[in-house]
Amino acid sequence: MSTDQKTSKFKRFSSANILLILGLTVLLAGEGYFGYRLHRLSSEQEQIKEDYSLSNNITFGIFSLDQWREKIMAVVNGQVTDFKISPAQKKDLQAQVETALHGLITKTIQEVNKPQKSIGGKLKKFAFKKFVNPDELQALVPGFSKTIIDKVSSPASLKRLKNIATSKLDQLETETYDSTNVARTKVIKTLYKKYHINNANAYDKEIKMRLTNIRTVTYQYAYGMLGCVALAFGLWFFMRKQVHLQAILFIMSLLFAVVLLSVGLTASIIEVEASLQTLNFAIMGEKVEFVNQVLFFQSKSLWNIITELIQQSKPDAIVVGMLMLVFVVIFPLLRMIARGIHLVSPKKIAENKVVKYLAFQSGHWDMADVMVVGIVMTYIGLNGILKSQLSNLNFDNAYLHTNTVNETSLQPGYIIFVGYVIVAYTLSYILKRISPHTHGPNLETLPKEKG
Amino acid sequence: MASTEKDSPPKKTVIIKLLLVVGLAVLLSCEGYFGYRLHNLSKQQEELKWDYTNVNNITFGLFSVEQWRDKISAIINHQVRDFKLTPYQIKQLQTEVEQVIYALLNKAESLLEKKPKSLSGKIKKFAVKTFVDTDTIKAQVPAFAKAMIAKINNPANKIKISNLAMGKFNELEKTNVYIDSTLTANDSTTTLLYHKYQVTSREELDRKLLKSLDRISTQTYAYSFAMLACIIIVLMLWWFFRKRVDLHAILFVMSLLFAFILLAVGLTASMIEVDARIKSLDFVFLGEHVLFENQVLFFQSKSILDVVEVLIKQPEVDAILVGVLILVFSILFPVTKLTCTGIHLLGKKSVAESRFVKYFAFQSGKWSMADVIVIAILMVYIGLNGLLENQLANLNIKSEFLTMITTNNTALQPGYIIFISFVLYGLVLSTILKYITPHDAH
Repeated sequence: MSTDQKTSKFKRFSSANILLILGLTVLLAGEGYFGYRLHRLSSEQEQIKEDYSLSNNITFGIFSLDQWREKIMAVVNGQVTDFKISPAQKKDLQAQVETALHGLITKTIQEVNKPQKSIGGKLKKFAFKKFVNPDELQALVPGFSKTIIDKVSSPASLKRLKNIATSKLDQLETETYDSTNVARTKVIKTLYKKYHINNANAYDKEIKMRLTNIRTVTYQYAYGMLGCVALAFGLWFFMRKQVHLQAILFIMSLLFAVVLLSVGLTASIIEVEASLQTLNFAIMGEKVEFVNQVLFFQSKSLWNIITELIQQSKPDAIVVGMLMLVFVVIFPLLRMIARGIHLVSPKKIAENKVVKYLAFQSGHWDMADVMVVGIVMTYIGLNGILKSQLSNLNFDNAYLHTNTVNETSLQPGYIIFVGYVIVAYTLSYILKRISPHTHGPNLETLPKEKG
Repeated sequence: MASTEKDSPPKKTVIIKLLLVVGLAVLLSCEGYFGYRLHNLSKQQEELKWDYTNVNNITFGLFSVEQWRDKISAIINHQVRDFKLTPYQIKQLQTEVEQVIYALLNKAESLLEKKPKSLSGKIKKFAVKTFVDTDTIKAQVPAFAKAMIAKINNPANKIKISNLAMGKFNELEKTNVYIDSTLTANDSTTTLLYHKYQVTSREELDRKLLKSLDRISTQTYAYSFAMLACIIIVLMLWWFFRKRVDLHAILFVMSLLFAFILLAVGLTASMIEVDARIKSLDFVFLGEHVLFENQVLFFQSKSILDVVEVLIKQPEVDAILVGVLILVFSILFPVTKLTCTGIHLLGKKSVAESRFVKYFAFQSGKWSMADVIVIAILMVYIGLNGLLENQLANLNIKSEFLTMITTNNTALQPGYIIFISFVLYGLVLSTILKYITPHDAH
């Protein structure tokens, strides 16, 4: 507070300065806090969704033979245990047994009636003819066949037969497998441990709850950040006549812009999620259903995009990553620093060629605005392609019903980035008006020399 | 040239100018040649990829009845030949048979207990009662049932039965040959491709295709670097002649021609290669190992113009809009920009300083970067889709036996490098123009 000792006039100014700085610092801190929270929430959301997409991935669902086996076996086992012989079926079976028995009897009689050579044979034939009346025998058939069918379809017998069938099915079941079960168990165990949960229902619920919470809160923080910035610029408008405060205001505004840029870079911008909500079909009269199959999930911030490109092994991807780093991160930052230097530093530095080039002339190297357009284009393009690809997977007929969902969306990070670009535009416009130094390239003599 | 003669400059300058023009023209034709070759190679590559996709397509693998039939016949074989009843099942069956026999015996007994009316009936009853002891028969039932089951279960009989079943199955298999439409389609495409590439087996064809693709990719990179070298030479010439104001106009116009060639090649050469496949589908089905490998879902290279085409063909209005925007940023803006830089340098002051010309000459260049950014983001979202593998690797789970769609092999192509170079070169040209323009640049 050394300024207190100075003249009263200065005192008033400086106290106004201090008030202004204090107010702006509070706002800046607010913006910083919101930005920090937004950043954290954004990465938390990304993490949760990644976990969710892992546990619900199509690899562990429709692509898993183990899953299919379980579902189909449930159906088949159900069919076996619920198996009952209806009266009509019983009648059919009985008729079949009867025909078989009739055939058997006829054949036996023919056999006996053959001319016999031995004495014993002749005797047997005689006895048979004497005692056995074929018609009588045939008349007994329905009674015997009924006995057989009644026996076979008695509850005890059915149970036995079912046991035989299911044990054979179990045998087949153990002979059919792939390696998803082991992997899936491990994944689920890890995730349950991570979320302190012990069953699938609770897991779904927990994830849904966390995501809903995060979604509402992130947007609040995003609007909070933009609100702080808007307030700062409101102050700017208020103070537009107070020339002596403008330098401080401008520097503070630059800080606001830097915070916006850093949050805009690190919060996720586009989230792509394609999933198969339901796939169901009927097999043996029973419904088999797969739900919530994640086909594809990605959520990335600009910073992720840049670093992932740079970390690639192929040189072209690295080059692209570097270009994006230079044009979208480094140039915007350099320009803001140059603007600050230009405004507050002595004329010699302010008029420095590099500083002036960066502050005023380097606009066509600063591609944050191009980025804004590029992101929207990517989002719409990706969305359109996914939508049409997924609609090809939608079936709705008697056998198969599928429902695909495309949840591609722009994320709060994008709003913040757009906010930054608007602020940057406004600042460069303001700087041109308030700069105490010459800045207009109109005064540059270079072209004229050449001409 | 007319203006230089009018001013009657020293002869030396004229010679230098001529040399410069000729030299640049040679360089330009070199660049044009490289570009042409690159364009052709890129086309060839697209065709090869198309063929490769055809051979390895999922409809001829996982979705083909033929493939499944081969695998399933092995399974059926296994099941039929090795059909075995476990001791438990045998026991259950035996009890079942016993029960039926007991029931029949009981029925017969009850029939005999009825009072016969006729004399012969009475004699019959008497005879049976005397000679047949039902208890002895009942005691023999278990042994009898056991013998019956053993008869069914004996190896010789089983072979007979399984032969019968297999015969029936093989017969079915033979008659079914022309039912499978993918098979016939596969047959005709593969024979065509075998003929085209003069190979006899699928493995050979795969190898040959991959080898040619590899060769083409190195060649395209070589040509694209040669093109870039031409551009660098031009920029070095600028540095070299930076003091020779009289040469700037010629140099600039020539530079613009270089830029046009870069643009044309950058637009038409493939710039992104999208590769989506199911790496392996690996499981044991009824005791038989079933394995499908490298099922290609999608394997294509796309140039910017192809991307525009894809987007414009979408049913959604916004996708079409984006397609149009890419078209504007990649063709309309650059062409206008290059033309405007030329006009600004050579045109009359009133035209040169019009807002339209000045905006396009100096400010529009960076918007072409929008296309670069779109492709880069798409690449990161689609191409580096190792998310699942990474997650699994973090959990120490081997992923090679799991069935998943991978798009890992998606990669950027030379066309992309050329297009980026064009954008950067255009930006540099704007900066150069700013310094050499006789007019007000701002």
